Amino acid sequence: MNAFRKRYEANDDGLRFQDLSYYGNFKDMEPVRDGIIGDRVMRSRAKSKVLEKVSREEVLKDQFTLDELNDLNNYLAWNIWDVLVMRATEGVSGMIPRQEYEILAFMNEFYRWPEILRMTTNEIGAAGVMEIGASAKRQIGVKINAVHDWCIGAVGFGMGRCGLLALEAIKPQDYVEESNEILKFMQRVLWGKRQDGYILNSQDRYRCAIHDKDFIESLATQVEYFEPGSEKAEAFTRFNASAELLAFLDHFDNRLGLGDTGPYELPDGKLMIIRDLFVNEGAYHWSDVCDAAGVPHCYTLLLVVDPDSMKLDEIRVNDISTTFTRPKNYVEHIVGGAVFVRETWDTPMSDVHQVKIDDLGERLDGIRQATVGLYGKMARMSRRQLITAGMYTYYVGMIMPHLRAAGTYDKACTDYDFWEWDERVSGYYYDIGKRGFAQQVVPQKIFSGEGYLPFPDGTDLRRSKYFWS
Amino acid sequence: MTVIAQGYNGFETKKAPEGTVLYLPNPQSVLTLLRSGKLKEHILLVQGGTTTFLSPALSMGAIGVITLSGAPESHLGILSREFQMPCVMTAHLLDSDSRYVTGGNNDAHFQSFISRLEGKKVRLDCSDADVAKVIEIA
Repeated sequence: MNAFRKRYEANDDGLRFQDLSYYGNFKDMEPVRDGIIGDRVMRSRAKSKVLEKVSREEVLKDQFTLDELNDLNNYLAWNIWDVLVMRATEGVSGMIPRQEYEILAFMNEFYRWPEILRMTTNEIGAAGVMEIGASAKRQIGVKINAVHDWCIGAVGFGMGRCGLLALEAIKPQDYVEESNEILKFMQRVLWGKRQDGYILNSQDRYRCAIHDKDFIESLATQVEYFEPGSEKAEAFTRFNASAELLAFLDHFDNRLGLGDTGPYELPDGKLMIIRDLFVNEGAYHWSDVCDAAGVPHCYTLLLVVDPDSMKLDEIRVNDISTTFTRPKNYVEHIVGGAVFVRETWDTPMSDVHQVKIDDLGERLDGIRQATVGLYGKMARMSRRQLITAGMYTYYVGMIMPHLRAAGTYDKACTDYDFWEWDERVSGYYYDIGKRGFAQQVVPQKIFSGEGYLPFPDGTDLRRSKYFWS
Repeated sequence: MTVIAQGYNGFETKKAPEGTVLYLPNPQSVLTLLRSGKLKEHILLVQGGTTTFLSPALSMGAIGVITLSGAPESHLGILSREFQMPCVMTAHLLDSDSRYVTGGNNDAHFQSFISRLEGKKVRLDCSDADVAKVIEIA
């Protein structure tokens, strides 16, 4: 049996992808590691059943208990550490002030999303929110995906609350009602997408195989197979890398441009990853250079990997939609691929079309043209412009797909001033630059999972924040 | 030939690119390098482990990168794997105890590394699963 399949046995602990340990709110207990064993330990420490497989009826309930809120808070804190603690070492970008735009977005989300998500739930109902998630099961090239859905709770609630606690703008007992609103929306979308009772990929040994079986079988018939190292393999992997680069760049160097699902095991034992690369988000004004280069909204790639030739030991599609393997280099073992085009975000699935690998040349030129154009545009932006634009890619971009799917995006813009900053967050713009707050708090409190204080025992579930001092 | 620095390996590869280390401090230096037509003569040295800063260089076929922060899970680590471009991350000098500290003031650490390597002819050895090496060859 290939080693990676052992990861799916009930008692397997998985591999460690890093040397670090997590403590979070469990400082008097054994440290927690990354991966499968980390998920198991964190779930064993929960007081409620919210981290086990839950029923549709449970998800439809409007209110979490305090234990459930704290269990979700603790688990998300570990999950954030699991996927981001090593990324947090990356330091300054030299171009985009990312820690600065990130922390401002986190806090703006925590303040502003609850009423927008409540309005959306009121408009389409709790079951309608679950349907948003379910809509991803028979589509490719849509942003209803792991990273966006995870961001609702992990970022909007978890990181937003954590950042405000670190700034001492709020206290642990504040905004309980609003936290419930955000976490319920996240739970409903994720449950609707997976429909196995779990909400996160880490709960399922890092599998995100959310597409329907017949849908996968249909897609797989369109894979073009090739020899690793062949001209066709080179053309496909070069296109994958170049499109992924532009997807990062168009989203201001964050993960929202990339969406992997899988792994899907094919009848011959090969593994297929479906990769959405959002290379032109039309909501952003800087994407005009992508329009000019003829770049569509999304390229979706099917990557077929041979687990035997690479001696695959573990594969993770984590909750921010990114695939990591051991050994790390799966690219040399891609034996087949396909490329699909979604022209705009609302292009019907029936109009999503394939481009043969031999015909990718002109499209690759367009990607390169857009990459250079976007780089030149960003290089001329001021710090304030870069932070503002980056903040929008998070604050607006993380829930825009769900609002679009619900039909509430326009209402959010007109009735709720969706694209506006909260006045308090505008003020924080200056605070986060003092004493290195952004550069220190984002990696040391937020991505380390250390600042996620629990709601105190006995806190009123309807508690908001009415007193500011 | 001497191993002078090492760091996290972005991904395992038999590729062992050689070139003169060129430190890129800002976007203008990236654009200047591209205009020079000498991109493939250099191993690029950058502070951060993010992607955007090096975007056009990656797109145009950079042969190897050394970063002073970041990890394989960082965006540049991910993209180096996708481009199959060897990448040594959070590199440190083997003859020094100075190390990168996340969220700390690393100015002196960065400066000592840049001073030691810039202009040197090196080869990257990224064959190990975890550790990548910078070998001085001239």
